[in-house]
Amino acid sequence: MALRVAILFGVAALAGRGAHAYPEFQRYSQQVSGRFVNCAMCHVHPDGPIGLKPGQIGKLTPAELGQLNSARGAFLPGQDVMNPILNEFGNALLKKLGKKRILELRLQPDQLADAYGYESDIDGDGVPDAHEFLQGTDPVDPQNGAPWALFTHNLRRYAFPHLFLLVTATALGLFGMNNLLKWFHQTMDKGSPEPGATGTKH
Amino acid sequence: MPTARTQDLMRFLAERFPLEKFSFRSLVQKKEVPLHKMAWAYYLGGLALFCFFIQLSTGLLLLFYYEPTVSDAHASVEFITHNVSGGALIRNLHTWSSSAMILFVLAHLVTTFAMKAFEKPREMTWISGVVLLLLTFAFGFTGYLLPWHQIAVNATKVGLQSIEEAGRYLPGELGKLPGQIKELIQGEQSVGQATLSRFYALHVVILPFTLCALLGFHLLSVQLHGMSQGVDKATNKTEAFFPFFLLKDFSLWGIGFLVMFVLALCLPFESFFSFPLFQPFDPLGSTPEGIKPEWYFFFVYYPLELLPFWFIMLASTVALGGLFMTPWLFRPANRRTLAFLACAAALYLIVMTVFGQNIYALFKGSQ
Repeated sequence: MALRVAILFGVAALAGRGAHAYPEFQRYSQQVSGRFVNCAMCHVHPDGPIGLKPGQIGKLTPAELGQLNSARGAFLPGQDVMNPILNEFGNALLKKLGKKRILELRLQPDQLADAYGYESDIDGDGVPDAHEFLQGTDPVDPQNGAPWALFTHNLRRYAFPHLFLLVTATALGLFGMNNLLKWFHQTMDKGSPEPGATGTKH
Repeated sequence: MPTARTQDLMRFLAERFPLEKFSFRSLVQKKEVPLHKMAWAYYLGGLALFCFFIQLSTGLLLLFYYEPTVSDAHASVEFITHNVSGGALIRNLHTWSSSAMILFVLAHLVTTFAMKAFEKPREMTWISGVVLLLLTFAFGFTGYLLPWHQIAVNATKVGLQSIEEAGRYLPGELGKLPGQIKELIQGEQSVGQATLSRFYALHVVILPFTLCALLGFHLLSVQLHGMSQGVDKATNKTEAFFPFFLLKDFSLWGIGFLVMFVLALCLPFESFFSFPLFQPFDPLGSTPEGIKPEWYFFFVYYPLELLPFWFIMLASTVALGGLFMTPWLFRPANRRTLAFLACAAALYLIVMTVFGQNIYALFKGSQ
């Protein structure tokens, strides 16, 4: 058992050599958005790929290490690889652009969004992944995004039937309440010997 | 034979709790609400109460899935948000209504002060209201930790550290008290499972029961004495509490619910923050930037970051003591003076909440 663990750690350490997160993209996203961004934008673990925690290289199984090596060889775009240290956005970037282009873009992180394109929206929150990158929000969490963009998208998304029914129910409730108030007014005014006296005048 | 002091006490209590008014006729049928330019403020307490009802109902639903352990708390909250039908809506409704509740409680306190609603015989109503405000803050503080994400745990650590720091400025044996209070709340060396268990017990059992009991007392007191005059020049225009005021109150609740529901459905509260703050707390991992308490603590948080601790401690003690002693301290003040003071307090709260970060950056260079 100890030998297996030692081998696993050895393999992990070897695989870890030369494995780098690309902080240029993180720095650029943080700079243009003003929001704090960490490695979790593209990686499984928020502290990046190197380490022994879940989602980091040191924790990968032999099968996952095989996937990692295949992903590292995906220099051209369109290759169907799944890097276990990357999240869905990281893998989508790899698949769309290929590793060669990503390495080139490290020198021009401002071009990443345009190169990736604005069609993909992994979390389905209505904000394209590329915009999420520029706005420093999480591209794989529908609860996180630029507030105004999320609000307007969700307003449209839930306009019918959710919001329509809610607004209708509230309007009907208020209408009923208003009529009830009028009825009380009329009833009390009829019952009052001095209309307009304290308690019934508004 | 009762002594003079006992007689004074009995008279004091009889004036504050007039049992002769404890009847359906007096509490409901005969209760009148004054109509004047500040009459809108009478609805703020009801709105805070409505938010509390939302808190109770959504909190109960969240209890079905939430697991109060450091290993599962974050995962259970994520499960609620992403896997449970309507989970995100319920959670967002809980978060939005908690903020709304604090907003309405604060607004209620400020307007009540401006309207001199603490005047004799409403001193106990005022004091119970101040305790309710503190309980509401305690709800916010304890609830903040429960999702066990980065900002929750780290902000709680900062909050608890502040309590311990107060001991440095207290003389002799008294100096140990804040540390002991911190230990009592924290339950172990650092914020961990014991802290989470205690905060959970406080948030879902102790505080709700305490708040319900005190709220009952507060509402009964309000009903017994009726609405305060509210303005210096008494108005002869009134409306019956039942049904007119109550139905208008319910209408406002309906509008309030609509607004909160739309916000909860369309605008996740977390979207205002950097996403790393909502990752599970990792005691061995790096601490993300931007750790700070909920917005309703900014009025004390940013001054605490900028000014000496002893000054904030002194100012807080004076402010809190002043709040409790308001019915006696401001007895001679007229409503114009009170309105001015209330506006100044409201301005301070708004400026520190909205621009606190900018003010901090102005003095310290950057956030």
